[in-house]
Amino acid sequence: MAITATIEVNQQDLLTSLKAFCTKLLEQDAISAILVPQRLPMKSMVMPTLVTEADHLDGVDPLSPAFPMNGAKVLAKLTRRPSGGKIAAIMRPCEIRAFIELVKLKQARTEDVVLIGMDCLGAYGNTDYFRFAGEDAEAATRRFYESVLAGKGAALDGVDLTTACQACEAPFPTSADIAIGLHGVDTGRHLLVLGQTPAGDDLLQQMGLPSSEVPTERQAIMDQLRTSREKYRDDMFAATAAATDNIDKLNTYLANCVNCYNCRVACPVCYCKECVFVTDVFNHDPSQYLRWAKRKGAVKMPTDTVFYHLTRLTHMSTACVGCGQCSNACPNDIPVMELFRMVAHNTQRAFAYEAGNSVDEKPPLSEFKEDEFQEVVGL
Amino acid sequence: MQTKIGKALVIGAGISGIRAALDLAEFGYGVTLIERSPHIGGILSQLDYQFPTDRCGMCKMLPLVERDAGSQFCLRKGLFHDNIDIKLSTELASVEGEPGDFKVTLRQEPNPVDAARCIGCGKCVDVCPVTVADEFNAGLTTRKAIYLPVPHTIPNPYRIDTAACTQCGACQEVCPTEAIRLVDEGRKDFNILVVDDELIVRDSLKEWLEEEGGFHVSMAESGQEALQHLKTETCHLMLLDIKMPGMDGVEVLEKAKELFPDLPVVMMTAYATVETAVEAMKIGARDYLIKPFDTDALIPKVIQIYQTLSTPPGPELEVGAIVMSGGTSYYNPADGKDTYSYGSLPDVVTSLEFERLFSGTGPNGGQLLRPSDGRPIRRIAWLQCVGSRDMQSNADFCSNICCMYAIKEANVARERAARAGTELETSIYYMDMRTFGKSFQRYRDRSEASGVAFKRGRVHSVEPDLQANDLQLRWADIDGNVAVDHVDLVVLSVGQRPAEGTQALTETLGIGLNPWGFPQTEPFSLTRTERDGIVAAGSFAGLKDISESVTQASAAALAASTTIHNAGGSIGLKDQPEAIYADVSRETPRILVTVCTCSEAVTQGVDQKALTHHLKSDPAVDRVEFLDGTCTAEGWDKLVALVKQHRPNRLLIGACLPYVYARKLKALGTEVGLDPRLMEVVDIRTPVFQAAREDAPEGTEPSAVTVQRLLAMAVARLRRISPAPVATVPVFQQTLVVGGGIAGMTAALAIADHGFTVDLVEKDKALGGNLQWLSKTIDGQDIRAFLEDTRNRVTGHPQINLHLDTRVIAAFGQAGTFYSTLEDGDGNAVQVNHGATILATGGHEAATTAYGFGTSPRIVTQQNLEAQLHDGTLDPTQLHTVAMIQCVDSREEPRNYCSRVCCSTSLKHAQALKAANPSLRIVVFYRDMMSYGFMESYFTEARKSGITFIPYTLDRRPAVAADGTDGDRVTVSGYEPIIGQPVEMTADLVVLATGIVPELPGELADAYGVARDEDNFFQEAESKWRPVDALKEGVFACGICQAPRNIHESIATAEAAAERALRILGRERLPSGTIVARIHESLCSLCERCVEACPYGARSLDPENERIVVNPAMCQGCGACAATCPNNAAYIEGFDAEQLMDVIDAALN
Repeated sequence: MAITATIEVNQQDLLTSLKAFCTKLLEQDAISAILVPQRLPMKSMVMPTLVTEADHLDGVDPLSPAFPMNGAKVLAKLTRRPSGGKIAAIMRPCEIRAFIELVKLKQARTEDVVLIGMDCLGAYGNTDYFRFAGEDAEAATRRFYESVLAGKGAALDGVDLTTACQACEAPFPTSADIAIGLHGVDTGRHLLVLGQTPAGDDLLQQMGLPSSEVPTERQAIMDQLRTSREKYRDDMFAATAAATDNIDKLNTYLANCVNCYNCRVACPVCYCKECVFVTDVFNHDPSQYLRWAKRKGAVKMPTDTVFYHLTRLTHMSTACVGCGQCSNACPNDIPVMELFRMVAHNTQRAFAYEAGNSVDEKPPLSEFKEDEFQEVVGL
Repeated sequence: MQTKIGKALVIGAGISGIRAALDLAEFGYGVTLIERSPHIGGILSQLDYQFPTDRCGMCKMLPLVERDAGSQFCLRKGLFHDNIDIKLSTELASVEGEPGDFKVTLRQEPNPVDAARCIGCGKCVDVCPVTVADEFNAGLTTRKAIYLPVPHTIPNPYRIDTAACTQCGACQEVCPTEAIRLVDEGRKDFNILVVDDELIVRDSLKEWLEEEGGFHVSMAESGQEALQHLKTETCHLMLLDIKMPGMDGVEVLEKAKELFPDLPVVMMTAYATVETAVEAMKIGARDYLIKPFDTDALIPKVIQIYQTLSTPPGPELEVGAIVMSGGTSYYNPADGKDTYSYGSLPDVVTSLEFERLFSGTGPNGGQLLRPSDGRPIRRIAWLQCVGSRDMQSNADFCSNICCMYAIKEANVARERAARAGTELETSIYYMDMRTFGKSFQRYRDRSEASGVAFKRGRVHSVEPDLQANDLQLRWADIDGNVAVDHVDLVVLSVGQRPAEGTQALTETLGIGLNPWGFPQTEPFSLTRTERDGIVAAGSFAGLKDISESVTQASAAALAASTTIHNAGGSIGLKDQPEAIYADVSRETPRILVTVCTCSEAVTQGVDQKALTHHLKSDPAVDRVEFLDGTCTAEGWDKLVALVKQHRPNRLLIGACLPYVYARKLKALGTEVGLDPRLMEVVDIRTPVFQAAREDAPEGTEPSAVTVQRLLAMAVARLRRISPAPVATVPVFQQTLVVGGGIAGMTAALAIADHGFTVDLVEKDKALGGNLQWLSKTIDGQDIRAFLEDTRNRVTGHPQINLHLDTRVIAAFGQAGTFYSTLEDGDGNAVQVNHGATILATGGHEAATTAYGFGTSPRIVTQQNLEAQLHDGTLDPTQLHTVAMIQCVDSREEPRNYCSRVCCSTSLKHAQALKAANPSLRIVVFYRDMMSYGFMESYFTEARKSGITFIPYTLDRRPAVAADGTDGDRVTVSGYEPIIGQPVEMTADLVVLATGIVPELPGELADAYGVARDEDNFFQEAESKWRPVDALKEGVFACGICQAPRNIHESIATAEAAAERALRILGRERLPSGTIVARIHESLCSLCERCVEACPYGARSLDPENERIVVNPAMCQGCGACAATCPNNAAYIEGFDAEQLMDVIDAALN
C-alpha cells in the first residue's frame, strides 16, 4: 500500500522543514548519503551536494530557482557501479527522467539509489538567476517560492522562468520513488510526501512520518497547470516549426553556432564517452575544406554546425526530457531547446515512447519490430 | 579457403538444389550444380511473395559460414560461391560407376549469344521478328526469340530460343559487341531423309525444313528407295511415314535399324495410327509427328533433335554423390476434360498464372486487371484441389501446398488492393483447408479475420455471365445447398506433378518411381533411394512446400555427404598457399585508376584529360590510365603490366560487370602482393547506358559527369580502406545432441558417421522417445525393428558418447565454442565442450480433460489405443462402434496449431480395427482431414471401406457422455451436415486425437541463447529458409521440439540439422567474413544498445574486462549495431564513417 505522509512546516519556512527531512533521511540505516541541491557557502549558486553528515545540511535548497546543471549525470557517476552504500537523491522531475534514461543506457543503476522528487516550481536561466539572487541566495529562494505558491507567478524583478520550464508539462515527479508534493497542499503548514514505489514506501516506513491524505484539490490543480503548460508548449512548437521548416531557415536558426558543443556537454542524456564530432570522423583533411569552398565559391566556417545539431537530434531526441540545459549552456543564444523539444516530442510520439517515464520501457532503437512504420520503410 | 577433395553433382538449381549445393559447399566439398533451364531459382524465380511474411526472403539462405566464399546479395538474382560451379541449360547425359566414384557426362545446350560479350543493350530484341509466348510470365505475355529468360538475374545475358529462331540474322547485324554468332553452319550439312509416298508431304516438308530450318533434305517415296538411299548417302535423321504401300514404315524402321543402329528416326503418322507409332518407339524410333503437321511444332522439334545430336556431350565429371533436385511440374488444367472452362475463358487462370498476374514484373506491372478486358479485378475466387485429390486426373494425393498458397495469394492481393485504395473480395472454395504446417493455422485464422472468405464446398461449374460481364460460379456447400457466386477472376489452385523428365532422369540413374510417378525413397527416409549415393532433394521426391523442400534438401546433402565421406572425400586439401600481401596501412594511398574505353557509352563525351585532371586533384590518385578491353586477355595483361610498373598500393578499375573480375583480382593480388581488398572494380558502363542512347530522355545526366562521379566515389572509398586480417574463431570439432528420441539418434549418427565425436544426452534411462510406444507406420513399416536397429547403431558407435538418465544443467557459448554441464541421475556432473548444439528434446501426446476423458475406461487417447492394440488388451472383434474425435483442444487457442500426425494416426487405427473386424462401425469426427501428400490415398481407402467421416465446426462440436457403472456406457452425439440431422450413437470406444505438445524447457533454450515460439516449440531463424537453425548460429533443432511431425519427417529434420552442424564442425577454425562488426573500445560507453540490436547474438558484454566483444564468425555484417551506436564505437569493417562521408561527398561533387 502506497504511503502518504506529511512533513510539518512552520510558518511557510519550507527550507527548514526540508532540511529536517534530509536530516531524518540521513538517520536511516539504509541511507549512506543524500544528494541534494545546496547553496554554495561563498556564492549565490546552488549545486548538487553529496552529504553524509547531518551537520553539513545548512544550505539545503531544493526550491531555489537556480538550475545550473541537470543532476542526472552526477547521480549516474555515483551509481554506475556498486558504491557500497545507498544514496537518497533529491532532484527535479526532469533530472529524474534523465537519470532513468541513463539507467536504460547502462550509464547508471537504480539499485543503490532512492529517487526523491519535488513538484517543480521552475527555474531561471543562469544569468537571470544571478541578477535575481544578488548577494542573498536564501532570501531569493524564499521570495521565489512564496510568490509561486501564493499563485502570484514566477516573474519577479523582470526575470521569468526559462522557456523550457514554461513549456514543461511534466513538473511532477511521477517516476520518483518518493514524491514531495507542493501543489494543492497547504504549504504554510505541511508538505505532502508520497511513496510511489516499493523502495520509496520502504524508506518512508522506516522514517515514520505522520501519515496523511492527498488533498482532494491537488489533482485538479496539477491538471490545470499541465493544460496551460501544454498550450504554451504547443505555441512554442508552432513558432519553432515555422522558423525551421526548410533547410535555409534551419541554417539561419542555427547560424550562431560556433561548435563549442556546450549544449552537448550540458545535455544530461548525451552519454557518449567521446562525441563523434570530436573524433577523427570530423577531423577533415585540409584539402577537404578547399574542395568544399570550391564547390560553391565559399564555405562558412566552422563547418558541420547544422550537421552536428541534426546528428544530435537523431541520436538523442528519443531520450530528451526537456530540461532546457542546452539553451542554458549556449553562449550565443541559439534556441536549441525549442528545436530539440519539438523534434523529440514528435519522435517520441512516433514510437509511443515517453523518455524517463519508466526503466521498464525499452528505448525505441533497442527493439526490433518487423511491422512498424510501413509507410516509411515501404514494406 | 580449405576445400575437401570430395565432389558432388546437384541436378536442378531450384531452391532445393541451391540449398543442397550450399550445404555441401559450406562443408568444403566441390559442387557442380546443373540446371536445364537458362537460369537458377526454379519455380521461385517466378514467385515474389511467400507466407507467412508475404515477402520473399530467399536471401536468408545465403552462406553464413565463410561468407566471403559466396556472393551476399539477392539470391533470386544469382549465386556465386567458390566451391560451386553452376552450369545452366545443362542436363545429365549419362552416369557410370558406383557410390563415391560416379563418372557423369553432362550435355550443355549451346547459346548463340556469347555471355562474356553480351552487354545487355537489348538492341537485338528490338529487331527480332519472332514473337512467342513468354514462359516466365506463364504465357500471359509474349517475348522475342532472343530474350532474357528472367528479368532479374546477374549476369543476365540474352539467350536465343533456338527452337523458335528463324535464323534471319537481324540480331547479329545490330549487336554492337558481336556477341551473337547465329548462323549454324552445321545445319546445312545435316542431312534429313524424308520418306513418304505422298508427293505433297515430301515437298512441303522439304520446303519447310530447308527454308525455315536451314537443313539439307533428301527424299524417298518408298521404303525400298529409302533403304537404298541410306546405303549411298550419309543421313543424320530420317522422317518416316508409317502407312505406305509395299513396305510400311515399321518394317522400314526395322531394316534401317539393322543397317544403321544409330540412325535417329522420327515416325510420321495420322491420328488413327498413333498407337503404331508408339509401338515403333519401342523398337527404336526416337519420336513421332502427327499429320497434318503443325509447322510451329514440327520445325522446333526437328531443331531440338538436331541440337541434341550435334551438341557434343560433355563435360565429364567425377563425383562422389548425386543429388536430384529437379523440382516438380504443375497440373495443367487444359489436360483435363474442360476443367472449369480453363483455356476457353481468359479470366479463369491457374495459380501460377495468377502469381505472374500480380507480380511487379508481370504483364500489368502488378496491377490486378482482368486478362479478358483489362478491367480492374474486384472479386476473385480460388478453387482448391484442381488436379489434386482427384481420381479423374489420376491424383489420389494431396499436393500439400495449394491451401497455403491460395491463402497467401488472397492476402497479398487484398493488401495490394487496399494500398491502391480499393476493396477486393476474395473467396477460397475448398474441401479441407489443410493448414498442417507450423504456424499455418494461425495464418489462416488471421486471413479469415482480415476478410478472406473460406467457403467449404465443391464448385460445379464456371460460366460466363454475359449480362453482368463476369463469371458465374455454381457451387454446393457442405450442407448440400447450391449457390451461385459472381466473380471477375477464377484462380485454379493447381496441384503438383512429377517434374518433366523425371522418368528419363531416374532411368538414367537407375532409380524406381512410386505409384504416382515420383522417385521412390527408402523406408523411413524421404531422401535416400535404392542406390547409395544418389539422393532426392525437395519436391522432386514429391509434394513439398518451401520449408520442407529446404529441410529435405539439407537432409539429402547429408546423405550425399556421407557417401562422399565414406569414399574418402572428406580429406582436406591443404589451404592454397597463403598469399602474402604487403602491409600498406602506414603508406599514403597511391591509387592507380584505369578506365576502360571499349564501350561507346563511356567514351562518348568523356574528355580524358579533364577526367584525369579531376581525379588527380585528389592527392591519393597517383595515375589515371585509359585501357581498351579491360576484360579481354590482352587488356588484362596491359593492366597487370601497369600495376607491376607503377606499384600502386590501391587499384581502381573503371569497367563493367564487376563480378567477372573477382578471381582475376585474387590472382593479381597474389602475384604482386597486394591485398585484393585494396582493389575495386566499379561499373561505369551500366549507369551511363541510358545517357548514351539516342532516345535518352531530356535532362539525363551526360555520361562524362556520371563517369567522373562514379570514379571519384570509388576513389573516396578506396583511399580509406585499410584491410584488417580476417578473424577466425576456434571450433571444438564435436557436437552435443540433447534428446535421444529418433531425431536425436539420427542426428548423432549422421555426425558421428562423419568421424566427429558426439555427446548424446537423454533424460530417460532408455533411448527411443516416442518410438517406444509406436508399433507400425500407416504403410505397415515396422517401427519397433527400426528403433532396435537405430539403438544398436548408436550404442555401438565408437564416436558417440551416450549419456542416459542425464540432463543439461548449465550451458553457455557460441558457434564453435559451447560449454555444457551434464548431470546424471546420481548427481555426477561432467563438462562437455562442443562446437555445435542440436536440440532434439521432443514432445509428447497432449493431456486432455475434454470429451469426458477420465470419466470412462472407454474414452482413450490415440496413444492409449496404440498400446492396447499392440499388447492385445483390446480385442477389436468385441467392438461394435468406435468413435474418433480429431483436433481435441487443437487448432484453436491456446493450442492453435495442427499436430499433423493425428489424422493419419486415426486412419491407421481405423484401418487396423476394420481389418480385424470388418463389420465394425467407425465414425470419425473431424474438422479438416489433414491427410496431406500421399497419405490421401489412405483417406480414400478408408472411405471406400465404409468408415464414416463427419465434419464438425467449433460452434457445433460432438459431445461425449459416460454413464452406467464406472462410466461403462458412452454416448457420442454430433451433427451430420449432409443429412442435416443430429446423430447419436453408443460407442464401445471413443478415441481422442489430442495432438502433440513440445518438451523444450525454457531454461535449456535460454542457456543456448535460442527462443521458443508462443506454443513453446523451438523458434527457428526463419520458417521457410532456415527451418532447423536458430537465429543464433551454431544451435539447431530437429524432431518434434521444432514442430509436430511424423517419423519420416522428424528424421529428415534431424539429417538437416546434422548437415547444418557439419558446416561448422568441418574445420578447426571458423573464418568470419571480411565485412564484420568491430569496436573502437576507446570510444565505447558500454551502453549495450548494440548487444540488444544484434539479431544474431554475436555481441556480448565482457563484464570482467568491461568491454563489448563480437564473435566474428557469428556476425553477419548486417550493420544493425553500427546504426544503433551514436558515436561509431561500433562499426563495420570497410564501412568507416569517414569513408562513407567521403563517398557521399564525392557523389555530391
